[in-house]
Amino acid sequence: MGCSLKKSVAEELIVAYAARTLSADLEADFERHLETCAGCRELVAQQRAVWSLLDEWHPLPVSPDFDHQLARRVARAGQSPWWHRRFGRWGWRPLIPVAAACTVLLFAFLLKEDDHAVAPGPGSQPQVRIEQQVEHALDDMDMLKQIGVDVSSAKPGPARKI
Amino acid sequence: MDSDPMQPSAAQPSWARRVNNSETAQRLPDGDAELMLQVRDGDEACFTQLLERHRNAVIHFLYRMVLNQAVAEELAQEVFLRVYRFRSNYEPTAKFTTWLFRIATHLGLNWIRDGRHEKGQESLDERTDGASRQVHDRSRTVEQELVYQAKLREVRQAIENLPSKQRAAVMMHKYEELGYAEIADVLRCSESAVKSLLFRAYESLRMRLAHLA
Repeated sequence: MGCSLKKSVAEELIVAYAARTLSADLEADFERHLETCAGCRELVAQQRAVWSLLDEWHPLPVSPDFDHQLARRVARAGQSPWWHRRFGRWGWRPLIPVAAACTVLLFAFLLKEDDHAVAPGPGSQPQVRIEQQVEHALDDMDMLKQIGVDVSSAKPGPARKI
Repeated sequence: MDSDPMQPSAAQPSWARRVNNSETAQRLPDGDAELMLQVRDGDEACFTQLLERHRNAVIHFLYRMVLNQAVAEELAQEVFLRVYRFRSNYEPTAKFTTWLFRIATHLGLNWIRDGRHEKGQESLDERTDGASRQVHDRSRTVEQELVYQAKLREVRQAIENLPSKQRAAVMMHKYEELGYAEIADVLRCSESAVKSLLFRAYESLRMRLAHLA
């Protein structure tokens, strides 16, 4: 005959029953269920066996100098610099993304600087204009010489359109 | 014929709910949190009290997690050191033991994750001087002692073969007697996930250790 309990409920009852953590009335009811359910009986026996095997695994005695060692480390922690006390607990790992982000920003900044050096920015344009104007003025003077105008004695007058 | 007591009746809540209620009723008030608040306010003696209360539980839990006494003690020192360092930020939002075992579990799981490849063939429960071998019981004969040690080796092997999170859940449930809700808090998962972890772990242990029963 199959078990009338849902598998998850049966598992929980079996573990709690072996650990003896069921309340008295629940335990009594589960024992009545066990009388009629061979499957749960078998699992309870196995779980109890596991439980008693785990009970036999005793812990080892703690080193006698455990507390002294800890006291030394606590004292050292109290003496560490403020930045270590505040940030030291996070270790160096969180710095990796920060360092990566800084590197990317630095590269971006340097690349932008290079672009400024190659293409003349708005600040260098007046210098270029002055050079062009001087060249035009010299060309004009050459042209006037060719048509016989004495440039050196010419009085300054209003600008002519050529 | 008697009705099956496992079937819910109109007068009685379902079994699943009764099991859960039975678990919830076992929670106790947290005096440790009050001690920790005093540590936060600068009372070093309260830290010593907390250490005395929980030192062994933390070391034993970590020993069963990492299967190495020296490593367990080293990790336990780190656990208490972190408790001390974080004292100024402590807020009693959860039980103190939940917080403590969360730190211990975190360190234990990290050690298992990072150190697994270095284990090799060496049995981790042995110190180089052999001092970590299970304490010899003088009431047993030599033969009984050998059988006992062989049995323990199998138990440790079965535990070591569990996935690390299942192992942590079993250790907290079996040895520290934490309830499902508290284990869920420690492992930062749902109660149903803890139950699933535990039942799978116990199922594995039942299968692996059946021949020793």
